[in-house]
Amino acid sequence: MIFLLLIYALIFIINVPGLVKKKEWRELTFFSILYIIAFTLGLLYVLDVHIPSPMKGLQYLIVDILGIKYQQ
Amino acid sequence: MNIEKGKITGQQLLFLIAGFVQGSVLLIDFTVGITEHQTWMVILVGLAVSTPFFLSYVMLAKRFAGMNLVQINDMVYGRFLGKVVSLYYIFFFLLTLSFNIRDVGELYITFLMPDTPFVLLLVVFTATCAYAVSKGIEVLARVSHLFVFIGIFVIISTFPLLLDQMDFSNFLPFFELPFGKIFQGVHIVSSVPFGETVVFLAIMGSLNNTEHVIKRTYSGLLIGAATLLIVAVRNIAVLGKTQTIWTSMSFQSIRLIDIGTILTRLDFLVGIAQTVLIFLKCSLFFYALAVSLSQLFGLKSYLPLILPLAGIEVVIAATVFQSPVDHAMITQNAGIIYSIPLMFVIPLLSLLIAKIRGLPKFERGKGT
Amino acid sequence: MGNKMNLPIMKLILWFFMLFTLSGCFGGREINDLEIVIGIGVDKNESAGNILLTAQIVKENETGGTGKDGGGEDKAFWNVNSTGNSIFEAVRQITHKTGNRLFISHNQAVIFGKDIASEGLEKYIDFFLRAHEMRPTALILIAEDRASDVMDAKPETKKFPAVNIEKLVESYAFTSHLYKVNMKDFASCMMSDTKAPMAPLVSVMQDKENKDIYVSGLAVFKKGRMVGKLNEDEVRGLLWVLGKVKSGVITVSSPNEQGSAVLEILSAKSKVTPELKDKRIVMHIKIKEESSLSEQTTTENLATDSAFERMQKASAEIIRQEILAAFDKSKELNADIFGFGEMLHKKYGNEWKALKDNWDDLYPSVELKIDVESKIIKTDLLKKPAWQSEGGK
Repeated sequence: MIFLLLIYALIFIINVPGLVKKKEWRELTFFSILYIIAFTLGLLYVLDVHIPSPMKGLQYLIVDILGIKYQQ
Repeated sequence: MNIEKGKITGQQLLFLIAGFVQGSVLLIDFTVGITEHQTWMVILVGLAVSTPFFLSYVMLAKRFAGMNLVQINDMVYGRFLGKVVSLYYIFFFLLTLSFNIRDVGELYITFLMPDTPFVLLLVVFTATCAYAVSKGIEVLARVSHLFVFIGIFVIISTFPLLLDQMDFSNFLPFFELPFGKIFQGVHIVSSVPFGETVVFLAIMGSLNNTEHVIKRTYSGLLIGAATLLIVAVRNIAVLGKTQTIWTSMSFQSIRLIDIGTILTRLDFLVGIAQTVLIFLKCSLFFYALAVSLSQLFGLKSYLPLILPLAGIEVVIAATVFQSPVDHAMITQNAGIIYSIPLMFVIPLLSLLIAKIRGLPKFERGKGT
Repeated sequence: MGNKMNLPIMKLILWFFMLFTLSGCFGGREINDLEIVIGIGVDKNESAGNILLTAQIVKENETGGTGKDGGGEDKAFWNVNSTGNSIFEAVRQITHKTGNRLFISHNQAVIFGKDIASEGLEKYIDFFLRAHEMRPTALILIAEDRASDVMDAKPETKKFPAVNIEKLVESYAFTSHLYKVNMKDFASCMMSDTKAPMAPLVSVMQDKENKDIYVSGLAVFKKGRMVGKLNEDEVRGLLWVLGKVKSGVITVSSPNEQGSAVLEILSAKSKVTPELKDKRIVMHIKIKEESSLSEQTTTENLATDSAFERMQKASAEIIRQEILAAFDKSKELNADIFGFGEMLHKKYGNEWKALKDNWDDLYPSVELKIDVESKIIKTDLLKKPAWQSEGGK
C-alpha cells in the first residue's frame, strides 16, 4: 500500500516538474489521464478489488459469442 | 514528423528481429502441447506461412520510409479510420506486452525464485523495461547484438551436452496427428513468434536507410526461426513422449544434463537467456506502445507516457490470467484469433491500398 | 531527453531495491536450516495413513570422532520416518521430527517398497515429477521388501546408503545385469500405451552381522503396477535387444568339454526391425557382439581358428538363449519390456492405431527372428594357457 503510494509519488516527481517547466500542456494532459488510470488500477489491485481481465472478456466474446475456436 | 530522434542501422534491425523471435523460445511450449513430436514441422510450415506477411510489413515500412505505424495508418485509411486501426494495434501491443511480462513472472515463480512475490517481480522487470525504453531505440538496438549472442550461445552449448540423451526415433512416426491439430499448431506458431513481428512496423520508421532492408530483416527472422527450430528439435529428441506433461519443456531438458556430476543444474542458463531475450521483446513492445500512443495523441515526445503505461501494464499483467494454465488455454484459442486481422489482414490491405492510391504522397496539402 | 532519471538518488534507490528482489532473498534458506535429503524410501503403512516415507538425511558431524574406538561409529546420516496419505503430506509431516523442511535437490534415488510397487506406482510418482526441487535425473529403484530396510543397511564403499545405491546402479555397465532408470525414463514408459516401465531391484543380504545392499535384476511393471521381475540373465537378454549391453561375462564350455572359456563382452550392437506381415508381427533382431577371451579353465589351447569358431557359436547361442528367456518371461507377464509396440508405432503409424488397443492380446503372438554374430577379437595377454595339455592343434 505504502509502496504503491511511494511509487506513484515518485512517478509524479520525475515527470511533472519537467513538463510544467517546459510548458508542454498537451503532454501533461495525456500524462495525467494515463497516470490517473494507472493509479486507480494500482489502488484497486492493492485493495484486492477484482479487476476484470480484458483477455477473459475477449475470450468470452470470441469463443462463446462468435463461436470461433479450436477443438480442445 | 518523427517522435524518435534516434536512428538505427539495418544491421541493428537484423539483431533486433532475431532477438525478438528468439525471445519466444519458451512460448513454443504452447504449441508442443498440441503438436507433440511434430512441432519441428509446424515451425517450418509456420515460417513459410508467415513469410509473405512478414515481407508485407517490411515492404510497407520501405514504402513509407521514416514513418511509424500510426502515421502510416493515418495516411492509408484517412484520419478517422486510421486512428481506429491504430487503436486496435495499440490495444494489441498493450495486451501482448502484459502477456510477456507475465511470462517472465511465471518463469521465475515456477522455476527460479518460487518464494518471491509475483507483483514485485513484475514491477522490477517492468521498471527496467521502462528505463530501457526511455533511453530510446538506438540504445536498445545496440544492446540487441549482445542479447542475441547470449541466446545463441546458450542454445549451442546445451545441444551437445544433451546429445547422449537424445533419441532420434522420437520423431517418428512422421505424420501422425490429425490435420486440425497441425493447423492450430501452425496458426499458433505463425502468430506468436512470427506474427508478433508486426510490432516492428512501429520501429522501422527509425531506420536510417531502407536499402537492404528486406534482406536484412528476413535474415533476422531466419536466425530467430533457426533458434526456435533447434530448441524444438532438442526438446523432442530428449524428452520424447514426456514432452506434453511438463510445464516448460526447455527447462526440463536442461535439467537432465548431468555430465560427470560437474555439469549439472544448468537451468539457470535457460533462465538467463530467456530473461534477457524476453526483456528485449518487452522493451520493443513497450517502445512501440509508447511511440504509437504518443503519436496518436499528437505529442512531441513519448517520454512522459512511459511510466504511467508501465504502471498500467504491471496491474494488467498481474490480473489478466490466474495461472499458467489459464495463460496457455486462452493463448491457444482466443489469443491467436483476435490478432488475426492485425498480423495477416491489415498490413497486406494497407499495402494494397497504398499501391492503388499511389501513396505516400509527399505534398503537404493532401490529407495526412 | 532528460525529464526522467536525472536524480542519481532515484537511481540508487531503484538499484538497491532491485538487489533485494532479484537475488531471490525471499526464498533464501540458510544451510543450517536445510535438511539435505539424499535418499527417499516409500513403503506401505498399515496403520495411520497410507504411506511410510523414509528420508535419509545428511547429518553434520559435530565431533572429530576421536576417542570413539571399538564400535559406536558415527553414522553420517539418519533416517527419518513419517506417514501420510500422499507423498507431499508425508514430506511435510517429517517436519514434526526434523524441525526443518526437507531439501530434496540432492536426492540421489527414490526407492519404492515392493508392496507399494505391487499396488501401483501411478498414485505415488506424481510428486517426484512435479516437485520443483526434485531432479529428473534421480534414480528410481524397487526394494525386494521394505524400502526402509534398504535405507538402514550400512554401506561399505560410501558414507551414505543412498549414494552407495546410486553408485551400484551406475555400475550396471560392468555386468549388464541391471539397468539404470531415472525418473524421466520411468515417466516416459508410463506415458506410453504399451511399453512396460522397469526399475532395478535392490535387496538387503544378511551376511552374518553385516547387511549388504545388493542391486540386481529389474522389476517389471504394467502401467504402474509391478507384475514380476527379471533375473540377471533375463535382464541381459533385454539389454542385448535394446543395444545397451556395455560389458559383461559370458561363460562357454570349451570345445573339448573339459572346462570353460570365459569371454568378456567388449561391445554389442543391436538392430531391431519390426515387420508387419499379413496379421503376423515379426521382429527381426540382429546382434553383433565383440568379446575377448579373458579366462580359461581348461588347459587346451584355445587360440586356434576352430576353437574360436566353436566358442563364438557357443557364445552366440548363449546370447540367443538369454534373449529368448527374456522374451518368454515378458510373454508370461504379458509386459512389453522391449518396446516392440513403440517400434511398430514408429514404423507403421497408420496400422498401429488399430493394433494398440489389442496389444495385450497381440503381444504373446509376436515372433522373434534372432540373428547373433559373435566375434572374439582378442585374447588379452596370453596366447596360450600356461599349463598346456597335449594335443593342442
